[in-house]
Amino acid sequence: MEKLVLLPIFIATLFVSCSSDDDNQVIIEPIEPIVAPADYTFTRNNESTVSFSGQSTRIFMAEEIISGLKANTTQTEASLLAMFDHQEGADDFSDPLLNASGKSVRSKTAASYDYFIENATEASEIKSMFDNYITLQATEVFPNWDVIAAPGVAGQIADGSSTRYVSPKGLEYNQAFAKGLIGAFVSDQILNNYLSPSVLDAADNVSNNDNDVTDGDKNYTVMEHKWDEAYGYLFGGVPEENQSNPLPTIGDNDSFLNKYVGKTNSDPDFEGIAQDIFDAFKLGRAAIVGKDYDLRNAQAVILQQKISEVIAIRAVYYLQTGKSSIESGDFGAAFHDLSEGYGFLTSLRFTRDTQNGTSIFTKSDVDGFVSDIMTDGPNGLWDVTAETLDAISEEIASRYSFTVAQAASSN
Amino acid sequence: MKKNIIYVLFCFLAFVSACGVDDNSDSQPTDSYDRGALLLNWADNIIIPGYANLSQKLNVLEIASEDFTQVPAVESLEVIRNTWLEAYKAFQKISMFEIGRAETLNYRNRLNVYPTNAQEIDGYISSNTWNLELPSTIDSQGFPAIDYLLYGLGTDQETLDKYTTDENASSYKMYLLDLVTTMQTLTNEVIFDWQNGYRETYITNISSSASGAVDQTVNAFMYYYEKALRAGKVGIPAGVFSGSTLPQNVESYYNQFVSKLLLTQALSATVGFFNGEGATADFPSNGFSLNSYLNALNTVKNGSDLSSLINDQFQVAFSKIELLDDNFTEQVTNDNIKMLETYDELQRNVILMKVDMLQALSIDVNYIDADGD
Repeated sequence: MEKLVLLPIFIATLFVSCSSDDDNQVIIEPIEPIVAPADYTFTRNNESTVSFSGQSTRIFMAEEIISGLKANTTQTEASLLAMFDHQEGADDFSDPLLNASGKSVRSKTAASYDYFIENATEASEIKSMFDNYITLQATEVFPNWDVIAAPGVAGQIADGSSTRYVSPKGLEYNQAFAKGLIGAFVSDQILNNYLSPSVLDAADNVSNNDNDVTDGDKNYTVMEHKWDEAYGYLFGGVPEENQSNPLPTIGDNDSFLNKYVGKTNSDPDFEGIAQDIFDAFKLGRAAIVGKDYDLRNAQAVILQQKISEVIAIRAVYYLQTGKSSIESGDFGAAFHDLSEGYGFLTSLRFTRDTQNGTSIFTKSDVDGFVSDIMTDGPNGLWDVTAETLDAISEEIASRYSFTVAQAASSN
Repeated sequence: MKKNIIYVLFCFLAFVSACGVDDNSDSQPTDSYDRGALLLNWADNIIIPGYANLSQKLNVLEIASEDFTQVPAVESLEVIRNTWLEAYKAFQKISMFEIGRAETLNYRNRLNVYPTNAQEIDGYISSNTWNLELPSTIDSQGFPAIDYLLYGLGTDQETLDKYTTDENASSYKMYLLDLVTTMQTLTNEVIFDWQNGYRETYITNISSSASGAVDQTVNAFMYYYEKALRAGKVGIPAGVFSGSTLPQNVESYYNQFVSKLLLTQALSATVGFFNGEGATADFPSNGFSLNSYLNALNTVKNGSDLSSLINDQFQVAFSKIELLDDNFTEQVTNDNIKMLETYDELQRNVILMKVDMLQALSIDVNYIDADGD
């Protein structure tokens, strides 16, 4: 569209400068400003260059795993661990397409280039944390499925008309797992891998992109594809026909980042954050097509900041709603919120301070938060106090420009 | 100077038209309405007699369930069905008071989660194993589960066969008896608590704060009206929250001809509570109510008394309900527009009460929409 508009001007300019030799010779170079398209559609030779089916696959795998964590009669420790660490061809999922895939969720957990390429030790610890949720769910909670939970006793507890299944310390492992993956798997891949220059500009990506050298028989350059893979971790759960225009259903397309960008966006304090994120994805991708890498990097920074903020807002939100339920003595509701909060706390590790390219929270920050909410007494969440939840909430919010009250008023 | 005059004029007008919530003086933190008398009216004339009435109806149901399980026959089936309905109607009168022991027991959910889980109930009966204390069995107990066991097993003869010749006949009987006694036990626990200290705590807890009894009761009332009555009885079956109608989600799905009756009972109780009406003639109102509280504060909206607007709106909702079929499954299947119109009229009072009334009474909403996962 831009090209069509500019073309007559360009011709007219040529005509003017050729046909007259007055001293007012201005040679206007036809600079084409980079403008994001209306939706996430990019083509080369009239065919789409956008592809992120691998991200969709992994999101669907993760969905089956978190459902499996509540399937006490059909899943076992072994079957759940196998789903998480899926091997090509293994009969782990209900969807045969997932079984045939060589991808897995575990291989992309704590696996970003920037944070873990030289930190295999912590990567391994984090993977083990998720393995451990599975093991404990199968060995502590599944056997007590029909037992009423009590301090020190795993089992079920009412949360309104829902039933929650908790550990002896009141933790829903399935929630810690799901909300933990939003950081360790989804956001880590987006922020610290695919949006990072170390991945986007790896090998000869820049010169290939500069010269429109596509990736083998694909229609995209490697750099374009890396950016799309970041996009795919947020929008890979959207039905294919809507993937280029995914905002109308933001929040409804997976149980991971999409869901919580949607929830954050529906809080008036943060309204518009979904649009900001989508716009940055579009403009950054257009910048790659236009070979403007500064503009691309500026969009990556916006995405890293906004997504880091979503994780922190949700962490504070769940600690605060959990606090009010604790205060009214509703342990079932409190445990559910605090278990989600627990997962988001662990996800803070994968946020990104865009000034220095490291996490906004160190490993010891996060270990400290998690330890604090579980050690106010011998029985973990059964004993957690409002003071502890407030202190952590304040500490998180102090590193951002939002307040605890703003995050707590979300829904 | 001009500004000041305008400001003074404005204040004066505001005072005359009584826009102000704190009607007498700015320095007083709370109004002078007699909250103690209000709480007394609620406790002694509405809530406790309401539970006592339900308890009595449940005792009658319990006797009928004993008779029916001893001699399952057309007559005893008829009796237990009628007593079930009488108790269900009595339940509608107190369901909104999910405070104190009722709140910790999760009382409303224990007695009235629908649609009931027929498949799970069948499983318990055929395995002859169940534990109604488990939260996960919440959708297999209470009035909706009895609805299934009395109306959902086929024709009258087929129903009787389940309790006589079926291989699980004794299990059917035991499950039915367990459902009834569980409802009795829970109700008696709530009553016991009111009679043994909670009433005194309640009527003296007059502070106007989140932990005050007025704030808690009004929040429980609003939550009930919004979630259980407006959404549960009307909006959810009409598909307001799902995009398509859910005819199987009506209250009393198996005896489909009483859904409207139960809604009418519930809305009457809601109006009665708003106006402070005693539960029965034996418990006359002392005159204190949300209605009189709003009037005492001279709460006006668009030139009319808010209390009148709310009562008028209740009547509009009743007039919509009158147009509905007794059978809500039929109604949403054949003419859902009327159900949606009823929902809309009920919704208007969510706004008038949850926004305007709570603002006038300086009560903060203490609940949020559930997370949905």
